[in-house]
Amino acid sequence: MLKLSEYLAVIDGTNHTPGIDPENIEISGAYVCDMLSDVMGSAREGQAWITIMKHLNTVAVASLTGIPAIIFAKGNSPEETVVQKAAEDGICLVSSPLDTFSLAGILYGMLNQIV
Amino acid sequence: MSPRAVVDRAKSCGIDWMAITDHNSLANCPAYAAAAAAAGLSFTWGVEVHTSEEIHLLVYFDDPGAAQAFGKELYASLLPIGNDPEFFGDQVIIDENENILGMEPKALMNSSVWDLSTAVGEARGHGGYCVPAHVDACVNSLIGQLGFLPAEPQFDLFGLTAKADLNEFLQGHPELAGKSWLRCSDAHYLADLGSGSSRILAAGPSVGELAKAALGLAERKILV
Repeated sequence: MLKLSEYLAVIDGTNHTPGIDPENIEISGAYVCDMLSDVMGSAREGQAWITIMKHLNTVAVASLTGIPAIIFAKGNSPEETVVQKAAEDGICLVSSPLDTFSLAGILYGMLNQIV
Repeated sequence: MSPRAVVDRAKSCGIDWMAITDHNSLANCPAYAAAAAAAGLSFTWGVEVHTSEEIHLLVYFDDPGAAQAFGKELYASLLPIGNDPEFFGDQVIIDENENILGMEPKALMNSSVWDLSTAVGEARGHGGYCVPAHVDACVNSLIGQLGFLPAEPQFDLFGLTAKADLNEFLQGHPELAGKSWLRCSDAHYLADLGSGSSRILAAGPSVGELAKAALGLAERKILV
Protein backbone atom coordinates (compact mmCIF):
# COMPACT_ATOMS: atom_id res chain seq x y z
CA MET A 1 0.00 0.00 0.00
CA LEU A 2 1.10 3.54 -0.70
CA LYS A 3 -0.29 6.93 0.20
CA LEU A 4 -1.26 8.94 -2.84
CA SER A 5 0.47 11.97 -1.32
CA GLU A 6 3.83 10.16 -1.37
CA TYR A 7 3.39 9.39 -5.06
CA LEU A 8 2.33 12.94 -5.93
CA ALA A 9 5.47 14.28 -4.27
CA VAL A 10 7.76 12.50 -6.73
CA ILE A 11 5.78 13.04 -9.95
CA ASP A 12 5.40 16.83 -9.72
CA GLY A 13 1.70 16.15 -9.33
CA THR A 14 -1.00 18.83 -9.27
CA ASN A 15 -4.17 17.99 -7.33
CA HIS A 16 -7.20 19.35 -9.23
CA THR A 17 -9.58 18.27 -6.46
CA PRO A 18 -8.21 20.11 -3.40
CA GLY A 19 -11.24 19.08 -1.36
CA ILE A 20 -9.90 15.52 -1.48
CA ASP A 21 -6.76 14.96 0.62
CA PRO A 22 -4.22 12.63 -1.06
CA GLU A 23 -2.85 11.91 2.42
CA ASN A 24 -6.04 9.94 3.07
CA ILE A 25 -5.98 7.87 -0.11
CA GLU A 26 -4.27 4.47 -0.03
CA ILE A 27 -3.23 2.99 -3.36
CA SER A 28 -3.06 -0.80 -3.54
CA GLY A 29 -2.01 -0.98 -7.16
CA ALA A 30 -2.42 0.75 -10.48
CA TYR A 31 -3.89 0.30 -13.94
CA VAL A 32 -2.53 1.96 -17.05
CA CYS A 33 -4.99 2.17 -19.92
CA ASP A 34 -6.59 4.56 -22.41
CA MET A 35 -9.65 2.52 -23.29
CA LEU A 36 -12.70 2.83 -21.08
CA SER A 37 -14.10 -0.59 -21.85
CA ASP A 38 -10.85 -2.23 -20.84
CA VAL A 39 -10.66 -0.30 -17.56
CA MET A 40 -14.24 -1.25 -16.78
CA GLY A 41 -13.45 -4.88 -17.34
CA SER A 42 -10.00 -5.17 -15.77
CA ALA A 43 -9.18 -2.42 -13.27
CA ARG A 44 -9.67 -3.20 -9.59
CA GLU A 45 -10.96 -1.25 -6.63
CA GLY A 46 -8.21 0.68 -4.88
CA GLN A 47 -6.00 1.02 -7.94
CA ALA A 48 -4.78 4.36 -9.21
CA TRP A 49 -5.50 4.87 -12.91
CA ILE A 50 -2.84 6.40 -15.16
CA THR A 51 -4.25 7.72 -18.43
CA ILE A 52 -4.07 10.47 -21.04
CA MET A 53 -7.87 10.65 -21.30
CA LYS A 54 -9.31 13.62 -19.45
CA HIS A 55 -12.97 13.62 -20.46
CA LEU A 56 -16.00 13.21 -18.24
CA ASN A 57 -16.44 9.49 -18.89
CA THR A 58 -13.21 8.73 -17.05
CA VAL A 59 -14.79 9.88 -13.78
CA ALA A 60 -17.85 7.68 -14.37
CA VAL A 61 -15.65 4.66 -15.02
CA ALA A 62 -13.50 5.41 -11.97
CA SER A 63 -16.61 5.62 -9.79
CA LEU A 64 -17.98 2.40 -11.20
CA THR A 65 -14.72 0.51 -10.72
CA GLY A 66 -13.78 1.85 -7.28
CA ILE A 67 -10.70 3.70 -8.53
CA PRO A 68 -9.90 6.40 -5.94
CA ALA A 69 -7.53 8.50 -8.07
CA ILE A 70 -6.89 9.27 -11.73
CA ILE A 71 -3.40 10.39 -12.74
CA PHE A 72 -3.37 12.34 -16.01
CA ALA A 73 -0.08 11.97 -17.84
CA LYS A 74 1.74 14.46 -20.08
CA GLY A 75 0.36 17.47 -18.29
CA ASN A 76 -3.22 16.77 -19.39
CA SER A 77 -5.63 18.75 -17.24
CA PRO A 78 -9.34 18.05 -16.82
CA GLU A 79 -11.99 20.71 -17.54
CA GLU A 80 -14.03 22.25 -14.74
CA THR A 81 -17.07 20.01 -15.40
CA VAL A 82 -14.89 16.94 -14.98
CA VAL A 83 -13.34 18.31 -11.78
CA GLN A 84 -16.77 19.04 -10.35
CA LYS A 85 -18.05 15.56 -11.07
CA ALA A 86 -14.93 14.03 -9.55
CA ALA A 87 -15.30 16.14 -6.43
CA GLU A 88 -18.91 14.98 -6.09
CA ASP A 89 -17.91 11.36 -6.52
CA GLY A 90 -14.87 11.59 -4.24
CA ILE A 91 -12.33 10.79 -6.96
CA CYS A 92 -8.96 12.54 -6.69
CA LEU A 93 -7.79 14.01 -10.03
CA VAL A 94 -4.07 14.63 -10.46
CA SER A 95 -1.97 15.89 -13.36
CA SER A 96 1.72 15.25 -13.87
CA PRO A 97 4.01 16.52 -16.64
CA LEU A 98 5.58 13.04 -16.88
CA ASP A 99 4.70 10.59 -19.62
CA THR A 100 2.69 7.42 -18.97
CA PHE A 101 5.71 5.12 -19.05
CA SER A 102 7.58 7.14 -16.44
CA LEU A 103 4.53 7.51 -14.21
CA ALA A 104 3.88 3.77 -14.33
CA GLY A 105 7.54 2.91 -13.74
CA ILE A 106 7.81 5.17 -10.73
CA LEU A 107 4.56 3.88 -9.20
CA TYR A 108 5.47 0.26 -9.86
CA GLY A 109 8.80 0.78 -8.09
CA MET A 110 7.23 2.48 -5.10
CA LEU A 111 4.48 -0.13 -4.71
CA ASN A 112 6.88 -3.06 -4.88
CA GLN A 113 9.34 -1.65 -2.38
CA ILE A 114 6.66 -1.39 0.24
CA VAL A 115 5.60 -4.86 1.26
CA MET B 1 -36.73 9.89 -23.19
CA SER B 2 -40.33 9.12 -24.02
CA PRO B 3 -41.09 8.42 -27.68
CA ARG B 4 -43.98 10.92 -27.72
CA ALA B 5 -41.85 13.65 -26.18
CA VAL B 6 -39.03 12.99 -28.61
CA VAL B 7 -41.32 13.06 -31.62
CA ASP B 8 -43.11 16.22 -30.44
CA ARG B 9 -39.79 17.94 -29.81
CA ALA B 10 -38.49 16.92 -33.24
CA LYS B 11 -41.59 18.30 -34.93
CA SER B 12 -41.33 21.55 -33.02
CA CYS B 13 -37.74 21.87 -34.27
CA GLY B 14 -38.98 21.58 -37.84
CA ILE B 15 -37.54 18.11 -38.29
CA ASP B 16 -39.52 15.88 -40.64
CA TRP B 17 -37.20 12.85 -40.77
CA MET B 18 -35.44 11.36 -37.77
CA ALA B 19 -33.60 8.27 -36.63
CA ILE B 20 -32.66 7.06 -33.18
CA THR B 21 -29.22 5.53 -32.72
CA ASP B 22 -29.11 4.05 -29.24
CA HIS B 23 -25.78 2.77 -28.04
CA ASN B 24 -25.39 -0.82 -29.20
CA SER B 25 -29.14 -1.46 -29.37
CA LEU B 26 -32.10 -1.20 -31.73
CA ALA B 27 -34.56 -2.56 -29.18
CA ASN B 28 -36.42 0.72 -28.79
CA CYS B 29 -36.79 1.48 -32.49
CA PRO B 30 -40.28 -0.08 -32.76
CA ALA B 31 -41.62 2.25 -30.06
CA TYR B 32 -40.16 5.33 -31.73
CA ALA B 33 -41.24 4.16 -35.19
CA ALA B 34 -44.81 3.89 -33.93
CA ALA B 35 -44.74 7.27 -32.22
CA ALA B 36 -43.24 8.90 -35.31
CA ALA B 37 -45.81 7.30 -37.61
CA ALA B 38 -48.64 8.53 -35.39
CA ALA B 39 -47.26 12.06 -35.61
CA GLY B 40 -46.63 11.97 -39.35
CA LEU B 41 -42.85 12.11 -38.95
CA SER B 42 -40.60 9.90 -41.11
CA PHE B 43 -38.48 7.49 -39.10
CA THR B 44 -35.43 5.35 -39.80
CA TRP B 45 -34.09 2.51 -37.65
CA GLY B 46 -30.57 3.16 -36.42
CA VAL B 47 -27.92 2.17 -33.92
CA GLU B 48 -24.60 3.52 -32.71
CA VAL B 49 -22.16 0.63 -32.60
CA HIS B 50 -19.26 0.90 -30.14
CA THR B 51 -16.41 -1.07 -31.70
CA SER B 52 -13.51 -2.68 -29.88
CA GLU B 53 -11.31 0.29 -30.85
CA GLU B 54 -13.98 2.43 -29.09
CA ILE B 55 -15.03 4.02 -32.38
CA HIS B 56 -18.69 5.00 -32.68
CA LEU B 57 -20.29 3.85 -35.90
CA LEU B 58 -23.81 4.84 -36.88
CA VAL B 59 -25.71 2.24 -38.87
CA TYR B 60 -29.06 2.96 -40.54
CA PHE B 61 -31.54 0.45 -41.97
CA ASP B 62 -34.51 0.62 -44.33
CA ASP B 63 -35.55 -2.93 -43.42
CA PRO B 64 -36.67 -3.33 -39.78
CA GLY B 65 -36.37 -7.12 -40.03
CA ALA B 66 -32.75 -6.88 -41.14
CA ALA B 67 -32.13 -4.26 -38.47
CA GLN B 68 -33.46 -6.56 -35.77
CA ALA B 69 -31.35 -9.45 -37.02
CA PHE B 70 -28.28 -7.21 -36.91
CA GLY B 71 -29.26 -6.06 -33.43
CA LYS B 72 -29.25 -9.65 -32.19
CA GLU B 73 -25.77 -10.27 -33.62
CA LEU B 74 -24.53 -7.01 -32.12
CA TYR B 75 -25.90 -7.81 -28.68
CA ALA B 76 -24.22 -11.20 -28.77
CA SER B 77 -20.93 -9.47 -29.60
CA LEU B 78 -20.96 -7.15 -26.58
CA LEU B 79 -18.49 -7.69 -23.75
CA PRO B 80 -20.23 -9.86 -21.15
CA ILE B 81 -20.36 -7.22 -18.44
CA GLY B 82 -23.65 -6.68 -16.67
CA ASN B 83 -25.26 -3.27 -16.49
CA ASP B 84 -25.01 -1.31 -13.25
CA PRO B 85 -28.32 0.59 -12.97
CA GLU B 86 -26.93 2.83 -10.24
CA PHE B 87 -24.52 4.33 -12.75
CA PHE B 88 -26.13 3.90 -16.11
CA GLY B 89 -29.81 3.67 -15.28
CA ASP B 90 -32.07 0.80 -16.16
CA GLN B 91 -31.72 -0.29 -19.76
CA VAL B 92 -35.40 -0.48 -20.50
CA ILE B 93 -37.13 -1.56 -23.65
CA ILE B 94 -40.41 0.32 -23.99
CA ASP B 95 -43.43 0.53 -26.25
CA GLU B 96 -44.76 3.82 -27.63
CA ASN B 97 -46.83 4.32 -24.47
CA GLU B 98 -43.72 3.97 -22.31
CA ASN B 99 -44.80 0.60 -20.93
CA ILE B 100 -41.71 -1.37 -20.03
CA LEU B 101 -41.47 -4.49 -22.14
CA GLY B 102 -38.18 -5.71 -20.71
CA MET B 103 -34.64 -4.87 -19.65
CA GLU B 104 -31.31 -5.46 -21.37
CA PRO B 105 -28.97 -7.17 -18.90
CA LYS B 106 -25.62 -6.59 -20.64
CA ALA B 107 -24.07 -3.13 -20.23
CA LEU B 108 -24.85 -1.37 -23.50
CA MET B 109 -22.39 1.41 -22.80
CA ASN B 110 -19.52 -1.04 -23.12
CA SER B 111 -17.92 -2.12 -26.36
CA SER B 112 -18.47 -4.90 -28.83
CA VAL B 113 -15.68 -7.38 -29.48
CA TRP B 114 -16.06 -6.46 -33.16
CA ASP B 115 -13.37 -4.20 -34.53
CA LEU B 116 -14.36 -1.55 -37.07
CA SER B 117 -13.87 -3.77 -40.11
CA THR B 118 -15.90 -6.58 -38.60
CA ALA B 119 -18.67 -4.22 -37.47
CA VAL B 120 -18.91 -2.66 -40.93
CA GLY B 121 -18.90 -6.09 -42.58
CA GLU B 122 -21.69 -7.31 -40.33
CA ALA B 123 -23.72 -4.14 -40.76
CA ARG B 124 -23.41 -4.04 -44.55
CA GLY B 125 -24.11 -7.77 -44.68
CA HIS B 126 -27.48 -6.97 -43.08
CA GLY B 127 -28.14 -4.12 -45.50
CA GLY B 128 -27.09 -1.40 -43.06
CA TYR B 129 -25.63 1.96 -44.14
CA CYS B 130 -22.56 2.90 -42.12
CA VAL B 131 -21.62 6.42 -41.06
CA PRO B 132 -18.70 7.00 -38.66
CA ALA B 133 -20.21 9.08 -35.85
CA HIS B 134 -19.12 12.60 -34.76
CA VAL B 135 -15.75 12.35 -36.52
CA ASP B 136 -14.80 15.83 -35.29
CA ALA B 137 -15.33 14.95 -31.62
CA CYS B 138 -12.54 14.26 -29.15
CA VAL B 139 -13.95 10.98 -27.93
CA ASN B 140 -15.04 7.86 -29.77
CA SER B 141 -14.38 9.31 -33.20
CA LEU B 142 -12.86 7.32 -36.06
CA ILE B 143 -9.98 9.78 -36.47
CA GLY B 144 -9.58 10.35 -32.74
CA GLN B 145 -9.29 6.68 -31.85
CA LEU B 146 -7.10 5.58 -34.77
CA GLY B 147 -5.15 8.79 -35.28
CA PHE B 148 -5.77 8.64 -39.03
CA LEU B 149 -8.40 7.89 -41.66
CA PRO B 150 -8.03 4.19 -42.49
CA ALA B 151 -7.88 3.09 -46.14
CA GLU B 152 -10.38 0.34 -45.33
CA PRO B 153 -13.27 0.21 -44.69
CA GLN B 154 -14.38 3.06 -46.92
CA PHE B 155 -17.25 5.36 -46.13
CA ASP B 156 -19.28 7.77 -48.27
CA LEU B 157 -20.71 9.77 -45.37
CA PHE B 158 -19.22 11.01 -42.10
CA GLY B 159 -20.97 12.25 -38.97
CA LEU B 160 -20.45 15.75 -37.62
CA THR B 161 -21.26 17.09 -34.14
CA ALA B 162 -24.12 19.54 -33.78
CA LYS B 163 -22.07 22.69 -33.38
CA ALA B 164 -19.00 21.83 -35.43
CA ASP B 165 -17.42 24.43 -37.68
CA LEU B 166 -16.81 22.17 -40.66
CA ASN B 167 -14.40 24.48 -42.45
CA GLU B 168 -12.29 24.89 -39.35
CA PHE B 169 -12.26 21.14 -38.80
CA LEU B 170 -11.27 20.44 -42.42
CA GLN B 171 -8.34 22.81 -42.13
CA GLY B 172 -6.86 20.49 -39.57
CA HIS B 173 -7.84 17.39 -41.53
CA PRO B 174 -7.11 17.85 -45.26
CA GLU B 175 -7.48 14.09 -45.75
CA LEU B 176 -11.24 14.56 -45.28
CA ALA B 177 -11.64 17.22 -47.96
CA GLY B 178 -14.35 16.44 -50.47
CA LYS B 179 -16.17 13.98 -48.18
CA SER B 180 -19.89 14.13 -47.46
CA TRP B 181 -21.16 15.03 -44.00
CA LEU B 182 -24.20 14.41 -41.84
CA ARG B 183 -24.71 16.82 -38.96
CA CYS B 184 -26.60 15.24 -36.04
CA SER B 185 -27.66 16.31 -32.58
CA ASP B 186 -26.39 13.14 -30.86
CA ALA B 187 -29.01 14.12 -28.31
CA HIS B 188 -28.89 12.20 -25.05
CA TYR B 189 -31.43 14.56 -23.48
CA LEU B 190 -34.66 15.97 -24.83
CA ALA B 191 -33.42 19.55 -24.79
CA ASP B 192 -30.54 18.67 -27.12
CA LEU B 193 -32.83 17.33 -29.85
CA GLY B 194 -32.64 19.55 -32.87
CA SER B 195 -29.33 21.10 -31.76
CA GLY B 196 -27.87 19.78 -34.97
CA SER B 197 -29.53 18.61 -38.14
CA SER B 198 -28.99 18.31 -41.88
CA ARG B 199 -31.06 19.21 -44.91
CA ILE B 200 -31.28 16.22 -47.17
CA LEU B 201 -32.50 16.84 -50.69
CA ALA B 202 -33.70 13.49 -51.95
CA ALA B 203 -36.67 11.71 -53.45
CA GLY B 204 -37.84 10.39 -50.08
CA PRO B 205 -36.88 9.62 -46.46
CA SER B 206 -35.05 6.34 -47.01
CA VAL B 207 -31.55 5.10 -46.38
CA GLY B 208 -31.26 4.27 -50.06
CA GLU B 209 -31.91 7.93 -50.84
CA LEU B 210 -29.51 9.04 -48.10
CA ALA B 211 -26.80 6.93 -49.71
CA LYS B 212 -27.43 8.55 -53.09
CA ALA B 213 -27.46 11.99 -51.53
CA ALA B 214 -24.11 11.28 -49.88
CA LEU B 215 -22.68 10.61 -53.34
CA GLY B 216 -24.43 13.62 -54.83
CA LEU B 217 -26.18 11.41 -57.39
CA ALA B 218 -28.99 12.69 -59.59
CA GLU B 219 -29.27 16.12 -57.94
CA ARG B 220 -29.56 14.72 -54.45
CA LYS B 221 -27.44 16.33 -51.76
CA ILE B 222 -26.91 16.77 -48.02
CA LEU B 223 -26.50 20.28 -46.65
CA VAL B 224 -24.89 20.79 -43.27
